[in-house]
Amino acid sequence: MLSLRELQLNFFHSIASIPGGGNANFSPGLVQVVEGRDKLGPEERLNIYAQMYYARLIEVLREDFSRVAAVLGCERFDRLVRAYLAHHPSTHPSLRYLGRHFAAFLAAWPEAASLPFLSDLARLEWARLEVFDAPDVEPLRVEHLHGFSPDEWPSLKFQLIPAFHALQSAWPVHEIWAAATDETSADRSCERREKTAVRIWREGFAVYHSKMDATEQAALTAVQAGEPFAGICATLASLVPTEEAAPMMGSLLLRWLEDGILVNHKA
Amino acid sequence: MAFSVPYLGHGVGLRTKHFPHLWEGTARADWFEAISENFMIRGGRPLAALEKARETAPLVLHGVSLSLGSTDPLNIPYLEDLQALIRRCEPAWVSDHLCWGSVGGHYAHDLLPLPYTEEALVHVVERVQAIQDRLGRQILIENVSSYLTFSPSTMSEWEFLTEIAERADCGILLDVNNIYVSAANHGFAAEQYIAGVPADRVGQIHLAGHADMGTYLFDTHDGPVITSVWELYRLAVRHCGRVSTLIEWDDKIPEFDLLCAEAERAREIEMTELGQSYAKSA
Repeated sequence: MLSLRELQLNFFHSIASIPGGGNANFSPGLVQVVEGRDKLGPEERLNIYAQMYYARLIEVLREDFSRVAAVLGCERFDRLVRAYLAHHPSTHPSLRYLGRHFAAFLAAWPEAASLPFLSDLARLEWARLEVFDAPDVEPLRVEHLHGFSPDEWPSLKFQLIPAFHALQSAWPVHEIWAAATDETSADRSCERREKTAVRIWREGFAVYHSKMDATEQAALTAVQAGEPFAGICATLASLVPTEEAAPMMGSLLLRWLEDGILVNHKA
Repeated sequence: MAFSVPYLGHGVGLRTKHFPHLWEGTARADWFEAISENFMIRGGRPLAALEKARETAPLVLHGVSLSLGSTDPLNIPYLEDLQALIRRCEPAWVSDHLCWGSVGGHYAHDLLPLPYTEEALVHVVERVQAIQDRLGRQILIENVSSYLTFSPSTMSEWEFLTEIAERADCGILLDVNNIYVSAANHGFAAEQYIAGVPADRVGQIHLAGHADMGTYLFDTHDGPVITSVWELYRLAVRHCGRVSTLIEWDDKIPEFDLLCAEAERAREIEMTELGQSYAKSA
């Protein structure tokens, strides 16, 4: 007779090891201890659990990666998830983390070789999820800066809110995201190589993302590196003519404050 | 050894679709049940909604990943997260399922059945006791819908459930729909199940909809409670007395008013059977 441990290991293996469906892989030792009754034999009963296992997890990832699913279409997405689960069965009690390896897996999935942008699309979707439930903080607003004297500004330091993420891609991934609403209407014109940086953030409860130009990307990188305001300005001055650096910095700072992505200034 | 939780009336599950009602002040329910794992997060809208719900009405936590019957070691980080959530929202009680859902470090995210053997009984009792010790409170364990049984079982499901509750000194969350579904799938009498459960251990009742798949019943939580389950609820009320009751509706979720109408129907049955109700609607 199977011990409880053996029964559970056999059971999990049986329901999670049939990526293509069917019930050929049910462990004989397990089938022997499952009771058949009426119209359902042991295999049919085990198969209910196997079908549920895949249906539930496919549904979760279809929701988390709805744009990737739209590009791939239903059948290919199902195949992708079954292959993914075979390599990355869930190891966390919460389904929230089921897709944490999805983008990396997708990058190496042979069926997506003709869609090289797809992994970055998955990274964007995952970043939006990460930002959605990142810790809450009170963002810095314009009025908070009014109290600083001109002498204090050069040494002011900013931090980014926890609900912020920056992403680099070889593709205009924000355009691909916008176009990938369903398989048939996807705009293929955006599937071109174009080095792109995107920032993803949450303001209140809403998640946003937008493309960054080279100056914003450099300035935000300086913020992330802990540079003081003077250092961020110097970064900009190295990229644009001197007379443009100051107004550009002012404009960027205003935009960041309006978007609520800065927090905790300290001298 | 005794078990007691407050009577909260007839509540509804806290679901994303209904979050706007919390901010609009129109989420009128006796109490809310929140799925623990959905709120084991760091911030954002779900936690804000949980806070709003707690301001609106009493709250309980209902988990799906405690994996009570698993032969893996207890997941301590999970229990720490659960404890942190308990501190945050101060639920009236905490519940999870009498099943297993993980083994070998892998989660099925399903409520998988246990064999009803002495080995499983001893194992689950130890786990429930260890969890209660760590959380510093009694928990409620819920009977699940199942689609298979194991031949080595030496007792009925209700005997297994009762023995665990008595030995571990925990409460029971009696899911009347799950009893109906499993009774049909395994050929036992649902009425016998209810009569066999210790009334003084039942702290909560679940009601939900299910689907008839032709050769078996499937626990879908995607529709209204069917008439036969309402009748079984009537029986459960007669057996257990006043017990906080909750409508579970997790898929094809209806408008909030329709969900509340199901809770009202449960209240009417309780009033009919017991003659009065002490539930207080907001």
